[in-house]
Amino acid sequence: MTSTVTRSTDMVVAHKRREARRPAATLILIAGAIYSLVPVAWVMIAASKSPGELFSTFSFMPGTGLSGNLSDLFAYNSGQYWKWIGNSALYSGLGAALSTLVSAMAGYSLAKYSFPARGVIFYGFLVGILIPGITLAVPQYLLMSKIGLAGGPLSVLLPVIISPFGVYLSYVFARAAVPAETMEAARIDGASEWRIFRSVALPLMLPGMVTVFLLTFVGIWNNFLLPYIMLSDQSYYPLTVGLYTLLSKGSGSPQLYSLAITGAALAIIPLIALVMILQRYWRLDLVSGGLKG
Amino acid sequence: MRVLAPVAIGLATALVAAGCSSSGTDGTTTPSDGDASGEVVNLEFWSWPVGTDKIVEDFNATHPNIQVNLTDAGGGDDSAAKLLTAVRSGEAPDVSTVEYTTLPSLVIAGAVADISPYAGDIQDAFTEGTWAQTTFDGVTYAVPQDVGPAAMIYNSAALQEYGAEVPVTWQDYREAAQTVREANSDAYIGAFPPSELGFWASVSAQAGSQWWAYEDGAWSINIGDDASQEVADFFQGMYEDDLISVEGLLTAEYNSKLNSNEMLSWPSALWATGVIQGVAEDSQFGNWRMTNFPQWNAGDKAVPYQGGSSLVVTSTSEHPEAAMEFISWFNASEEGANDVLTMTGSYPASVVGQELSTSQEVSPLVEGQDDYYDLAAEIASDTVPVSWGPNVAYAKTVLDEELSAAIVNGTSWADAFVATGDAVRKDLVEQGYDVAE
Amino acid sequence: MTTTTSSKVRESRGKSATRHGIAPYLFAAPALFLYVAFIIIPIVYTMWLSLHAYRIEGGGSILGNRVLTWVGLENFASVLTSSSYLTGLKHLAIYGIIAVPSMLGLALLFALLLDTPGVRARPFSRAAIFIPYAVPGIVAALLWGFMYLPSTSPISYVTEALGLGPVPFLDDPGIYGALANIAVWGGVGFNMIIIYTSLRSIPNDILESARLDGATEIQLALRIKIPLVIPALVLTGFFALIGTLQLYNEPATLTTMTNVVGQTWAPLMTIYRDAFLTDNLPLAAAASLTLALATVAASAIVLQIANLRRRRQR
Repeated sequence: MTSTVTRSTDMVVAHKRREARRPAATLILIAGAIYSLVPVAWVMIAASKSPGELFSTFSFMPGTGLSGNLSDLFAYNSGQYWKWIGNSALYSGLGAALSTLVSAMAGYSLAKYSFPARGVIFYGFLVGILIPGITLAVPQYLLMSKIGLAGGPLSVLLPVIISPFGVYLSYVFARAAVPAETMEAARIDGASEWRIFRSVALPLMLPGMVTVFLLTFVGIWNNFLLPYIMLSDQSYYPLTVGLYTLLSKGSGSPQLYSLAITGAALAIIPLIALVMILQRYWRLDLVSGGLKG
Repeated sequence: MRVLAPVAIGLATALVAAGCSSSGTDGTTTPSDGDASGEVVNLEFWSWPVGTDKIVEDFNATHPNIQVNLTDAGGGDDSAAKLLTAVRSGEAPDVSTVEYTTLPSLVIAGAVADISPYAGDIQDAFTEGTWAQTTFDGVTYAVPQDVGPAAMIYNSAALQEYGAEVPVTWQDYREAAQTVREANSDAYIGAFPPSELGFWASVSAQAGSQWWAYEDGAWSINIGDDASQEVADFFQGMYEDDLISVEGLLTAEYNSKLNSNEMLSWPSALWATGVIQGVAEDSQFGNWRMTNFPQWNAGDKAVPYQGGSSLVVTSTSEHPEAAMEFISWFNASEEGANDVLTMTGSYPASVVGQELSTSQEVSPLVEGQDDYYDLAAEIASDTVPVSWGPNVAYAKTVLDEELSAAIVNGTSWADAFVATGDAVRKDLVEQGYDVAE
Repeated sequence: MTTTTSSKVRESRGKSATRHGIAPYLFAAPALFLYVAFIIIPIVYTMWLSLHAYRIEGGGSILGNRVLTWVGLENFASVLTSSSYLTGLKHLAIYGIIAVPSMLGLALLFALLLDTPGVRARPFSRAAIFIPYAVPGIVAALLWGFMYLPSTSPISYVTEALGLGPVPFLDDPGIYGALANIAVWGGVGFNMIIIYTSLRSIPNDILESARLDGATEIQLALRIKIPLVIPALVLTGFFALIGTLQLYNEPATLTTMTNVVGQTWAPLMTIYRDAFLTDNLPLAAAASLTLALATVAASAIVLQIANLRRRRQR
C-alpha cells in the first residue's frame, strides 16, 4: 500500500545504516559550511585586535585588545552603542510583533472569507510584494518629511509594520492551517468572528506566525537604507546605521575602525542566537508550498 | 462587542501615527527671540570638527543667557544633504557648519537665512577675499570660520631618507616622485583620487582655470578648458609612469601606508595638519612639515583656496539674533578664534585669529617646525579666489564617475574633465540659469 | 457524508459570507490602512513629484530661488538617457549573470546534499550555511571588504606568500565576482532552506522505488528531485532577481575601498545621490518609479515562465 507520508527521520536513519558513506558529498557540504563561517570567524578574531594590531597582524591571528575594544566601544559617545542596540531591539521587536498581528489578520481575512472586494485587495497586496522595498524608502521619506515625522523613530517604525509579503505568507498559512469546518462549528456554537479568530484560528496559525515574525524581525534588524534615509539624530539610529557611521568616521580616526569591527561582531551574535534557537519553528515549507496555490 | 477589537487596533494605529508627531515648525512662524525678555535661549548647533565640543563649552560658560547644544552631525558629502533634509522636515538646528563648496546649493534650496542685516558688525573682522566666500550679489549667507589656503604637508624625514628634494614646482614634484619610487618600490609620494573635486578645482584654479565664474549676470563653467586639460595631462602622465597613486584618501589602506612611510605627502591646504594628526601614529610625530603648495610656474606665490567652512543660521531658526551672537563669538572674537586655533587645528578665517596664530604652539605632528605659523600667515596672504557654483555636489559625482572611468579604462583624463564640464554646464542650463558659452 | 457541493451547501456558504459581512473587512482594515498610507500614498506622491522639477525662477541672478515646476515626462527622458543609470543597468546585468545562477546553483546543491542519505555533518552544515542570513548586509559587505583589501586579506596574504601577488578582487573585472560573492554568501542559506523543505515533501515511495530500480543518487536528483522542486527554484530565482535590481548595500560599502566602484555604480546608488547629495528629488522619484516598473515587469516575466512550465507539464 503506497503511503504518501513525508519522510521521517526514522526512515533516514534506516537508510543511513544501509547506504555507503559519501565522503565527496560530505566534503562539499562541509566546504560550504566553512565558506559561510569564515567571515564570521574573521570578525570575531578582528574584534580581539587592538587598533594597532588590526592592519599589522595576520587576519586569523587573535589579538590582545578585546577587553580594550569592548570598553572603548561601550564608552563611545557616552554609551551610544547601547542606545543603538536598544533602538534595533525596539524597531525589530515592536515592529515585527505589530506587523505579524496585522498580517495575520489580513491573511486570515483573505483566506477564510469571501467578500466582494476580496479579489481586488488580494491582488493589491500581491502587487505590493513586487515593488522593491528599497525603492519605497525614498518616497516614504518624502511623505514623512511632508507630514513632519521624518527624523524621529516613528518614521522608521511605521513603514515596516506593513509587509505585503507577510500578508501573503499569512494567507497561505491560514488557508492551510484553519479548516473551514472548525470555523463553521464554532459559529454554530454562537462564537463571534473575533472570538473565532482569537481562539480557533490564531492557535492553529501559530507556527506560521512564528515564521512571519522571525522573517520580519530579521528583515527589520538588518534594514539599513530606510533608517539611514529617515533618521538624522544619531541617538535614534539602529545598529546597522550606527556601525556604518562609525566606519565612515573611521577614515579620519583609525581607532574607530576597531570599534566598528567590535561593534559588528557584537551585533551579529544576538541574531545568530535567535535564529539558531528558533530554527525548529521555521515553517518555510509553506513558503514554497504557497507558490503551488 | 465582538467586532470592537480589530476596530480598536485599527484606531490605535491611526492614533499613534497622527498623535505622536515630533516637534516641527510649520515654517511660517515669524522668527522671534526669547532673549529680549532675559530668558535663556537654547540653540541647536550641528557641527563635526574635532574639538568643537570644547569650544561650545567655553561659550556656554561665558554666556549664561544663550545656551548652545551641540550635535555631531557627521561631516563629508552627506552633511549638506542631512541639513537640507532637516530643514525640510522641520527638524533643523539653529546654527550649522557648512563648507564653502556646498553653501550656494543650500542657499538656492532656501535652507540658510539672509544674515546681511547683521553683517555690518563683523564684516571688518575678515579680509575681503575671505568675506567674498560667503556673500553673493551683496547678500551675506554665512560667516567664514576657517580657510584653507593651499599648502602641502609632507613627511620630511622619509623624503630625506629616500634622497628626494622638497618640491617647489609641480615639475619638482614629479622628480621627487621618481626618486621616491626608485628608493622604495612600495612607497608613493602622494595619492590623487578622482573623488577629490576640491583638489582638482584648486590645482586648476592655480593654473588659471576658474571652474565656476560669474560675470555680467551669467555663469560660465570652465571645467575642461585648456588650462585644466593641461593639469589633467600632467597628472595622467605621472600616473601612467607609476609615479603617483590614485587610491582614496584616508581609507584604512591609505592610513596604514602613511604610517609605514609609504605615502609621503598631501598637497592640500593648511587644515591638513589637523587631519593627518588624527590618523598618524606616534612614530610619525615630528617627522612631518608644512610647505608651500607646488607652483606651476617657478617664482609664483599665489595659491588657491581648498575647502574651509563657515557657520550659517538656518532659515527655520526662531532665534536668529541669539544665533548670530554665538556665530560672531565663535568666528570673529578673540576668544573664539583662539579656540578654533587651538582646539580644532584649523586655520581661522578671521584677521584676529590669524594674528593670534603666530604665537601658537605647533601641532606635535610637525614638531620642530618653529616657523609653521609664520609660513601659514605668509601663505594665507597671497591667494587666488575660488568661487563655487550652485551645482558643486553634482559636479563632484560627475567628475568622480568620468575620471574613475578614464583611470580604469586607460583613456584621456583631459577628456574626462571636458565631459564633466559639459555635464555641469548642461545641468545649470536645465535648472534655468543663464550660462555663458 | 459526501463532499459534493449541493446547491443547498452553496447557498449556505454564500449566506455565511454575507452574514459575517463586515468582519472580513475589519480584519483586513489595519493592513489596508497601513498599505494605503505607506505604500500607495508615497507612490502617488512620487508619481506627482516625478512630473515636476526644481527650476530657478527668473534667471539672471547669481543664485536665485528654486521652485517646483511642472515638466511633464522630462525627468523620465533624463533617466532613460542618463549615462549613470544606463551604465548602472549594465553593471547589474553582468552582476546578475554571475550572482543569480550562483545563488540558485549553490542553494540547490547544498539542499540536495542535505537530502542525500549517507552524507555526514548535516545538522552542523545546515546551521553554518544559514548563519550568514543573520548578518546585516552592510556588515557582510564590510567584512568581505576587509577580506578583499590587499592589506588585510587572508587570501592575498597566502597568495603573496606564494609569490603570486594579491588577488585582484577589487579591480575590474574581478569586482563583479567580488560583489556577487557577498550577496550569494548572505542569501544561499535562506534559499537552501526553502529548497530543502520542498525536497522533504517529496513522497518517499517515489524515491524508494527509483532506488530499487537501481538509480544512483545523482540520477535521482536530476530526474526526480529537481523537477519536483521547480516551484521552490522559481521562488528562489525570483528573490535573487529582485535582489539584483535592488543592489545597494554591497557596492555602497565597497565604493570607499576601490576606484572601480564609483558613487553611481548601481542604479539605486544613483537614485540615492540624486535624492540626497545633489538635491534633485524629482529626478530620483522618476528613477525610483522606473526601477520599480522594471522590477515588476521582470517579476511578472519570471512568474509567467513558471506558469507556462507548469501548464505544459500537465
